[in-house]
Amino acid sequence: MSEYKVNVTNLKKNYGANHVLKGIDFKVANNEVVVLIGPSGSGKSTLLRCLNKLEEPTSGSIVIDGQDISLSSTNIDKARENIGMVFQHFNLFNNMTVGENIMLAPIELGKSSKDEAKKQAKDLLETVGLSEKFDAMPSSLSGGQKQRVAIARALAMNPDVMLFDEPTSALDPEMVGDVLEVMKDLAKKGMTMVVVTHEMGFAKEVADRVVFMADGRVMEEGKPDQVFDHPQNERTKAFLDKVINV
Amino acid sequence: MKKFIVWFSLVFGFAFIATVGQPTQQVEASEKTYTIATDVTFPPFVYANSNNKYVGIDMELIKAVAKKEGFKVEIKPIGFNAAIQAVQSGQVDGMIAGMSITTERKKTFDFSNPYYSSGIVMAVKKGSKVTSLKQLKGKTVAIKTGTSGADYANSIKKKYGFKTVTFDDSDSVYDDVKTGNAVACFDDSAVLQYGVKTGLGLKIVTKPTDTGNYGFAVRKGHNQVLLNKFNKGLKALKKDGTYAKIIEKYTGKKAVSAQKKSSENSSDSYTMLALLKQNKSAFISGIEETLWLTIVGILFATIFGILIGLLGVVPSKIAQGLSTTIIYIFRGLPLIVLALFIYNGIPSLTGTKVPAFVAGIITLTLNEGAYIGAFVKGGIEAVDSGQMEAARSLGLPFSKSMRKVVLPQGIKIMIPSFVNQFIITLKDTSILSVIGILELTQTGKIIIARNLQGFRIWAIVAVIYLLMITVLTLLSKWIERRIKN
Ligand SMILES: Nc1ncnc2c1ncn2[C@@H]1O[C@H](COP(=O)(O)OP(=O)(O)OP(=O)(O)O)[C@@H](O)[C@H]1O
Ligand SMILES: [Mg+2]
Repeated sequence: MSEYKVNVTNLKKNYGANHVLKGIDFKVANNEVVVLIGPSGSGKSTLLRCLNKLEEPTSGSIVIDGQDISLSSTNIDKARENIGMVFQHFNLFNNMTVGENIMLAPIELGKSSKDEAKKQAKDLLETVGLSEKFDAMPSSLSGGQKQRVAIARALAMNPDVMLFDEPTSALDPEMVGDVLEVMKDLAKKGMTMVVVTHEMGFAKEVADRVVFMADGRVMEEGKPDQVFDHPQNERTKAFLDKVINV
Repeated sequence: MKKFIVWFSLVFGFAFIATVGQPTQQVEASEKTYTIATDVTFPPFVYANSNNKYVGIDMELIKAVAKKEGFKVEIKPIGFNAAIQAVQSGQVDGMIAGMSITTERKKTFDFSNPYYSSGIVMAVKKGSKVTSLKQLKGKTVAIKTGTSGADYANSIKKKYGFKTVTFDDSDSVYDDVKTGNAVACFDDSAVLQYGVKTGLGLKIVTKPTDTGNYGFAVRKGHNQVLLNKFNKGLKALKKDGTYAKIIEKYTGKKAVSAQKKSSENSSDSYTMLALLKQNKSAFISGIEETLWLTIVGILFATIFGILIGLLGVVPSKIAQGLSTTIIYIFRGLPLIVLALFIYNGIPSLTGTKVPAFVAGIITLTLNEGAYIGAFVKGGIEAVDSGQMEAARSLGLPFSKSMRKVVLPQGIKIMIPSFVNQFIITLKDTSILSVIGILELTQTGKIIIARNLQGFRIWAIVAVIYLLMITVLTLLSKWIERRIKN
């Protein structure tokens, strides 16, 4: 229907008097990898969470796969099956093993039989390099391992789009690489991805497009080298100076 | 969310119907059964004998009348005050409890013809120097709530300048005089005479005044058929000599000395073990009742509490508000007030009787359920909100996310609170003695009313409670371990 996987028009989000998103237009094409950057509090997480309606938008439309999920008539549970999400703090289900974490949704939502789900979970664990952890409890994993399990869990529903909210910010530096590696593989396989991250190296290498946000607005967007090397907006320049100096 | 509310109302409605809708054990016999309330202890009119059977002038009289007039009676020894309320609310059909006919009471009761005449006397501790009302100035006098002795004391306390202290049962009144907290007590002469003769340790120092008549009472304007039957029966019993026999049996020389002997004899067998043996069957049925209340109470309170707790975390302002309100009301009400309200208040509004046990269960369900609801809600909220978000983002609906992800983690947090609440529930059943349920505490009260062994009986009751709580704790810990693994 639409040439875009994600098509957000004039999205606004208020928390009471606090206007966090002030009219965002944001599009993601099929197979595109978009990296969202911007200072803290600029509304990156809020935008991302509106894309699967973890936050209720105040106004505007959010069309994903041709379906406007901001309408209350849309079955949001069904829509979420096609939108994978990876959180900063992993949010693995603490009461389940790694395998159960991955198999829960496919089984509960009738996507696959128990045997199929198990086979799929093992395959996914292999792709993220954790095949021996099927029966482990989340509490026994390192942060990097947890995040890779979380990615596998999101992939188990075979989503069309993957959303990442600072997937590596809570990790020790030596763990970051493994997680980014998994994400790069995913991008190579053609997954449509929206990634909020401060990993500028990752953005430069993998992103098709970089979007810079500040004060609830999109300030600038373009190809990575364009945004990073020739920023047009003063706010972008100031932000990049800070990030690169750190 | 809608599903949740529907589910909630279904289960709660069902539970409610299951308890309230229980047929009120009305035996479909050819003879009508009347429920008659009476005092716990008011010898020689009503008291429990050594087999814990209720005997006394009132008991024999009402049974003889019933036999003569061809109806059945179910006796509820719930205490004088509770009896008055039970008659007024229609929970029982009538009461007979050495109740004086007064103008005040005639406003709300219809009385039978008098069946006994008595007057108020003052009693003091043996060896006390107090012999007249004048000596009471500045002193404290013990009275029993709702009795005509109390009315009399209150009517003269200004004039003679004494204070009053009120108790719910006669034994506490006598005890207070014996220990010297109060210098005197006022009660019906028949009662005090009987008590003095059976070795109460008190003596009567005044002549009967304020003489009055005892009558059988029904709620004003109700149960007139029963009232007429009583009058007719009483007349017949007086005529055929049965009445005189009953009075002689309880106030004659023989009766009193027999009772005295038995209480003297047994006084050296008042060891803990002997007391336990003597009252074995009473204790056992008290324990059974307490356990039943606890088990059924916990069951319903848990169901109710979990539903209230879940209602509090459903993403709907209405549901959350409802949950908060229910918790606020039923956690805020003292258990005793709630119990009395349900047992006496609701029937006088709706006209349907609520059996005491059912009223007790509803009370526990609402009160303990509110506490459970609060910590169920708290336990769920204590689970990191990221867990719910992760489940929802996979496409799992709210209820499934709750059941599979959040609840299993929340329950672990709640378990210690559950164990705690179960123990509290067991202890709280003792409060239900106010609505006349013969559980362990009420059983203790009644046994003491008979043998006056307050210290020892309460010690036994305390130990039994501790034993039950130990068992319950061990059981809970075992279940806790099972759930955690
Ligand atoms: N649930 C909420 N209630 C009220 N205000 C909120 C809520 N969530 C976010 N905000 C506010 O919205 C603004 C944007 O927050 P958001 O988390 O989207 O920023 P961000 O760009 O992701 O920042 P960071 O880089 O620190 O994660 C902030 O001012 C924040 O305080
Ligand atoms: Mg953020």
